[in-house]
Amino acid sequence: MEILQVLSEEWAIRALVASSLVGVMCGVIGCFMVLRNMSLIGDAISHAILPGIFFAFIIVGYSPLGFFTGTLIAALVSAAAITWIQDNVKTKNDAAIGIIFTFMFSLGVIGISYLNNKQGVHLDLKDFLFGTILGISNEDLMITGMVTLYALVSIVIFYRYLFITTFQPTIAQTMGINVKLIHYFLMLLLSFAVVAALRTVGIILVVAMLITPSATALLLTNKLKQVLFLAGLFGFLSAVIGLVAAIAFNTTPGPAMCVVATTFYFLAVYFSPSKGLLYKYIRKRKQNQQIEKEDIIKYIFKRKEESHITDIADTLGMTSSKVKSRLKGLRDDGLLIEDRGIISLSAKGAARADRLVRAHRLWERFLVDQVGLEDTEIHEDAEKHEHLLIHADILDQLDAKLGFPTLDPHGSPIPTKRLSAKNPLLRMKPRQRATISPEQISADVESQLWELGLSAQSSVQLVSIDENKVTIKVGNKTKEIPADLAEQINVS
Amino acid sequence: MSTVIDVKGLSVSYERKRVLSNIFLKIESGNVYGVIGPNGAGKSTLFKSILGIININTGAIKVFDKEVEEVRKRVAYVPQKDEVDWSFPATVIDIVLMGRYPHKKMLQRLDKNDHRIAEQALEKLGILDLRDRQIGALSGGQQQRVFIARAICQEADLFFLDEPFVGVDMTTEHKIIEILKELAAEDKTILVVHHDLATVDDYFNKVILLNQRLLTYGDTTEVFTRENIARTYAPQMQILQEVGMIDTLEK
Repeated sequence: MEILQVLSEEWAIRALVASSLVGVMCGVIGCFMVLRNMSLIGDAISHAILPGIFFAFIIVGYSPLGFFTGTLIAALVSAAAITWIQDNVKTKNDAAIGIIFTFMFSLGVIGISYLNNKQGVHLDLKDFLFGTILGISNEDLMITGMVTLYALVSIVIFYRYLFITTFQPTIAQTMGINVKLIHYFLMLLLSFAVVAALRTVGIILVVAMLITPSATALLLTNKLKQVLFLAGLFGFLSAVIGLVAAIAFNTTPGPAMCVVATTFYFLAVYFSPSKGLLYKYIRKRKQNQQIEKEDIIKYIFKRKEESHITDIADTLGMTSSKVKSRLKGLRDDGLLIEDRGIISLSAKGAARADRLVRAHRLWERFLVDQVGLEDTEIHEDAEKHEHLLIHADILDQLDAKLGFPTLDPHGSPIPTKRLSAKNPLLRMKPRQRATISPEQISADVESQLWELGLSAQSSVQLVSIDENKVTIKVGNKTKEIPADLAEQINVS
Repeated sequence: MSTVIDVKGLSVSYERKRVLSNIFLKIESGNVYGVIGPNGAGKSTLFKSILGIININTGAIKVFDKEVEEVRKRVAYVPQKDEVDWSFPATVIDIVLMGRYPHKKMLQRLDKNDHRIAEQALEKLGILDLRDRQIGALSGGQQQRVFIARAICQEADLFFLDEPFVGVDMTTEHKIIEILKELAAEDKTILVVHHDLATVDDYFNKVILLNQRLLTYGDTTEVFTRENIARTYAPQMQILQEVGMIDTLEK
């Protein structure tokens, strides 16, 4: 309750309004600084305004409007000096910035110290370095309000120009837009923001209010208008929360605002929906699990004997608890059948494994034939790529490009593309009747049917579907068909 | 057919290094020009000079019989892809709508008509479904389609494309060429910096052979000969010798 009482006092309301205005303005303008790789300029200009205080004090004495005008002039002079050096002297850009801002800052410190020593004036350097938001006057507030309004309105009006000159200055030029003019206009806005922020967060931390909220917003969305809005919002929240916390805990507001802004930033770094580290971690984990699962089915597929958890764990170098958990995943996907510790693939699982082998061997063929690698150096790369290739439709294209090879570089056969039956026997229900279709997907299937004594138009009734075989009745005889064949037999 | 660009005596140098030397060139409407030459031949510099975005040393350039500043609306430019910041928070539709900017007065807002034209351009390039995607989330071919769509959306009469097929899939390449030929059939003019000599015959009905000097230009069937290509791609030393010989002969 005490804090609410404090916050309802006039000086606190003034401080709240001023800092939230500055938060919004710095956040929005900062976006353009960050996107133009001009973050350092914001820091430079903020340091460079200090001599403006000194000169203003000498000329008009202690006056908010005087300080505003003085610092604004100092900011513009520094911006112009930096740009002039960058355009006309063979000094690197960031070196030019460093030279000018430290020089201006030093002038300011010397001037203010001199005033304090010689004339017994009380101008506290600390107030300018870290801000004096709690002592802000109505006149200060008026100036801040006007400047914020001007900055936001002009950004709305000239949004198009700011967007195009920031994104593609060359294109802007070919459209007849004066890129230099827009640059100076932004420098003016930046100077406004810095001068206004001087009272709230102080010289040293202005750059935090410019960069941190916009960097946060850039992690959250891909649309510039939304970036500007969110940056303004984060600037506002950082200022308000920081100020209230500072009043509550009786500490300095400027640094508190900076800490809040940085907290938002790291929350976005971890929790951003598409660019956050957490999202990336989860996706990476899912991918790894998928790769482990695929390695397991390939292992089972290639092994002629029964597979046990311990064999899999040993061969693939996984812990047996990890193998168990992946096996459970595979069972849930319907790729695997487990019976009293003996593990085998379902028809679907076998098809997946077959595709993996095909991808692996085609890729090896590609590396040898088209890239020109030796057959001794291709296995590991194929181990990685098979997991990507089986999910892409380019596998068939790759096959065609290589001229439908039958053997991999090590001499092992490459499985051919599995055609799927339109209406497979495997999808029938028990007791359902059907006839074997005259159109089968391959001559291979037809010959296997013939070996089983089945021909087109044979009428069959499904008895049961087991783990890896299908039992059917033809006339009064019972026949068993392997599940992967049943998947390829077309019925009607 | 009319003269679209008239270049007289153009020379450009960067830091004392001569890039383009005394170029005289007349570009005529209704054609697709291939600008061919080795790296460092000044192809991009020629484009930028005509577009009026770099300083030239000497020469006079007219576009549609005027200074380029007066006809900006009618000129569209598709720069090399490596000049783009792919992480920028810009969506496909944002970028294509940039093509409408030259048609707008200072404070005039984009209206429904502008959005309609932008969407038609996307449709034409077959990427309308990508309209809200961020530019960096697209494939190389899709990205190039976006920039071509912007040029179309600008409804320009003269197009400059700087290496539009670098990092682009074949389907996109053919699609772009098809569109360029359609534009030429509407009496528009297209200039393309191109590297693959094997496709020049198919893609361009006119070529400009450039290697700091203008070697020759004209109908592809007449100008794009083995001999001319060899002269264009000859080592710089040989060219210097040629020039030196001409100098001595004159003396």
